[in-house]
Amino acid sequence: MAQHASKHAAFQALTANRLLDGEVVYFTESGTWVEDFAAALVVESAKAQDLLTRATSGDYEAHIIEPYLFEVADGVPVSVREIIRAKGPTIHSHFTKPFSDKSV
Amino acid sequence: MPTKHLIIDGATASDQWQTIADDISFDGTLDEATLDGKGAIISLARLEAEADTLRQRNTPIGVILRAGEKVGEDPHRLAPFLDMLSLVAIEFPVYRNGRGFSAARILREQYNYKGELRATGDVLYDQWQFMHRCGINAYEIDGDIPLATFTKAMDSLPDAYQPAGDDKRGILWRRS
Amino acid sequence: MYRYDEFDNEMVSARVAQFRDQVERRLSGELTEDQFKPLRLMNGVYLQLHAYMLRVAIPYGTLSSRQMRMLAHIARKYDRGYGHFTTRQNIQYNWVALERIPDLLEEIASVEMHAIQTSGNCIRNVTADQYAGAIDEEIEDPRIISEIIRQWSSFHPEFSFLPRKFKIAVTGHKNDRAAIKLHDIGIVITRNGEGEVGYEVHVGGGQGRTPFIAKKMTDFVPRNKLLAYLEAVMRVYNMLGRRDNSYKARIKILVHETGADEMRRLIEAEFAKIDASNMLTLPDKEAQRIMAYFAPPAYETALATSDILQAAQSANKDFTHWCATNVVSHSQTGYAIVNISLKPIGGIPGDATDTQMEAIADCAATYSHDEIRVTHEQNLVLPHVRLDDVKAVYDALVPHDLATPNLGLISDSIACPGLDYCNLANARSIPLAQDISTRFADLHRQHDIGELKIKISGCINACGHHHVGHIGILGVDKKGTEFYQITLGGAADENASLGDITGPAFTEDKVVDAIENLVDTYMNIRTSADERFIDTYRRVGMPPFKERLYAD
Ligand code: SF4
Repeated sequence: MAQHASKHAAFQALTANRLLDGEVVYFTESGTWVEDFAAALVVESAKAQDLLTRATSGDYEAHIIEPYLFEVADGVPVSVREIIRAKGPTIHSHFTKPFSDKSV
Repeated sequence: MPTKHLIIDGATASDQWQTIADDISFDGTLDEATLDGKGAIISLARLEAEADTLRQRNTPIGVILRAGEKVGEDPHRLAPFLDMLSLVAIEFPVYRNGRGFSAARILREQYNYKGELRATGDVLYDQWQFMHRCGINAYEIDGDIPLATFTKAMDSLPDAYQPAGDDKRGILWRRS
Repeated sequence: MYRYDEFDNEMVSARVAQFRDQVERRLSGELTEDQFKPLRLMNGVYLQLHAYMLRVAIPYGTLSSRQMRMLAHIARKYDRGYGHFTTRQNIQYNWVALERIPDLLEEIASVEMHAIQTSGNCIRNVTADQYAGAIDEEIEDPRIISEIIRQWSSFHPEFSFLPRKFKIAVTGHKNDRAAIKLHDIGIVITRNGEGEVGYEVHVGGGQGRTPFIAKKMTDFVPRNKLLAYLEAVMRVYNMLGRRDNSYKARIKILVHETGADEMRRLIEAEFAKIDASNMLTLPDKEAQRIMAYFAPPAYETALATSDILQAAQSANKDFTHWCATNVVSHSQTGYAIVNISLKPIGGIPGDATDTQMEAIADCAATYSHDEIRVTHEQNLVLPHVRLDDVKAVYDALVPHDLATPNLGLISDSIACPGLDYCNLANARSIPLAQDISTRFADLHRQHDIGELKIKISGCINACGHHHVGHIGILGVDKKGTEFYQITLGGAADENASLGDITGPAFTEDKVVDAIENLVDTYMNIRTSADERFIDTYRRVGMPPFKERLYAD
């Protein structure tokens, strides 16, 4: 798997899949999980573990599964994998999700 | 360690056995009083090394068969000792490690072992019925699982396609 | 086709009810994800990149039109209007919601389908030659023994927690279309000196990180002893297979580390014990009963040639081309086997929409004795079409983009889901297949190139069979970007071989050019149009291809 965040990345965000339908979701500032990457809380890598801890305390498993951190640079995910997760498969244009990067 | 409780032949039972570590000597500290009438479950290595002296004792002897990772303990090694064993504990260290299913069938079907065959370790709800079909009759399960749940799990599949270590014949052998 | 009896129905219904209960317990919080995950994985439910994926079993790749209509219905009601046929002859749905899966399973159970043993470390769906029961010179329809194996291996109490997943494939024909030597167990139906039908068994083939061609373990096991023999193989594997490293857990590694001779000895010793107990000796009556389900359909008597077909061919060149690639001769005079390509130019290999599935179901009902097959090369087959009806089938397929005349050609590639869907992927597979197909869109050029099997995997798990592609492509990940490694000379047929790596991997934008360079090289050095790419490679080896690939 290619999603592992390296220690050197300056910024990271937290993602998971929604329990009910498996939809990709991102952790936000206010502690909710939303579908739009643009709403994701991006933190400095040094604070990423705290973010994960915060998000996975309590009853998170009632809503999401398999949370993990990933790298973000210039407001977009670094890996192709995370870009595809954020936008949808590259082979079905009608499934492409509205995607706004965070630099704008 | 979460507490376990014991189910033998479908009923809650009290444990008549103690696991005895290899470094505890039978001659010294471990007298009949310490065992308190219970049987001793020992390792396969120890069984092989001390079988002759253990045969002299009155203590019921059981053995634990370790599943291992790269290699597991071979149930065929128990063959010379089956006459002196009244319990074989089969280890299922994680649910994924299913060596014990084969070990159970080998002991029951190839050696006609009639004593207690006990599943120990980390076993899933959905494995109990399969274990039963392989000849296991005793289960150490998590203490907070009620007997009713266990009984229900044992019935989760109504029938069997194939013969195994229980008395179900398998549909392929019954239709015609 | 095999039809469920009450027993089969009861077993499948019990499993659906059990899974419904498990999903409810997970959603209510009674089960944690850690506890639930192995349970969903035993029912074909994976978490992929964007959603849950459900894999539905298609035993030995045979479907009725009613089942195909159900698959279309599922695509429409529970998914986004399509399904993906896989190299395991199964179908996958990419967008199913967990809470709806129990309902979905109940619906497919009504047409005798299920998702049991489509994941997990158990004996998976048995695959077989897609031309079973239709091809000339077949010793026996492989679906008969496949069905017997399906039943024996379903909910097997001893073999549901093996070291790793376990795949069995069967062929009844000298031309191996089921890639049996790349399976954990590959079975070739054969005859002994007395003319009795039995099975040659190969063990320890597989792809993935360390590919191996299976080793022959026995020349002949009689029909009534095969289950005993298979149980012996499985028990040796379950006892001795490695559980310390999931990459070394497949039976291929055990065979390799133990040695074929010792493995054979272990299997024979176990087989002797099981056989002596007689408990797995298959009753002849039951074998006959199952065999009866696969009796040939009620063919009409017809001539070996069809005026209707010939007239249509002289009137329509496209149709003639399609006949040349996609239509295969049948064992029954006056009939043909029709291949439906799921590889339209620029399309997604193996995908079919709900309306396509329905069109195919209609064709099968009207023209193919209600039967459809799924191939491991991700195409479909109408196995029993009258020559007189071939044109009508073609006409019915064309409007649905299902009549691409490219079977076995360069645009008929295998591609795994890759990084567009798969949670384990390093790189995308499907867009590459699409780009290659588009680059070689010209059908004349494709026909000129001739048989060329391109197989693409998005990671070393090799679901796209890249090791056995004439040209194999493997996606690798370098710091989050996609690269592609190329292999040459693989084959999955009766002369199975593993491909050789050409050299350094290519970036995404260079790989289609690389394929074109390989094809050009082949075209320049082949001795005649009859020498296929694989033949040329076997004759000349890597150097000319490598030289051209890395010229600049
Ligand atoms: S080969 Fe890899 S990327 Fe492709 S489907 Fe299999 S696991 Fe996924």
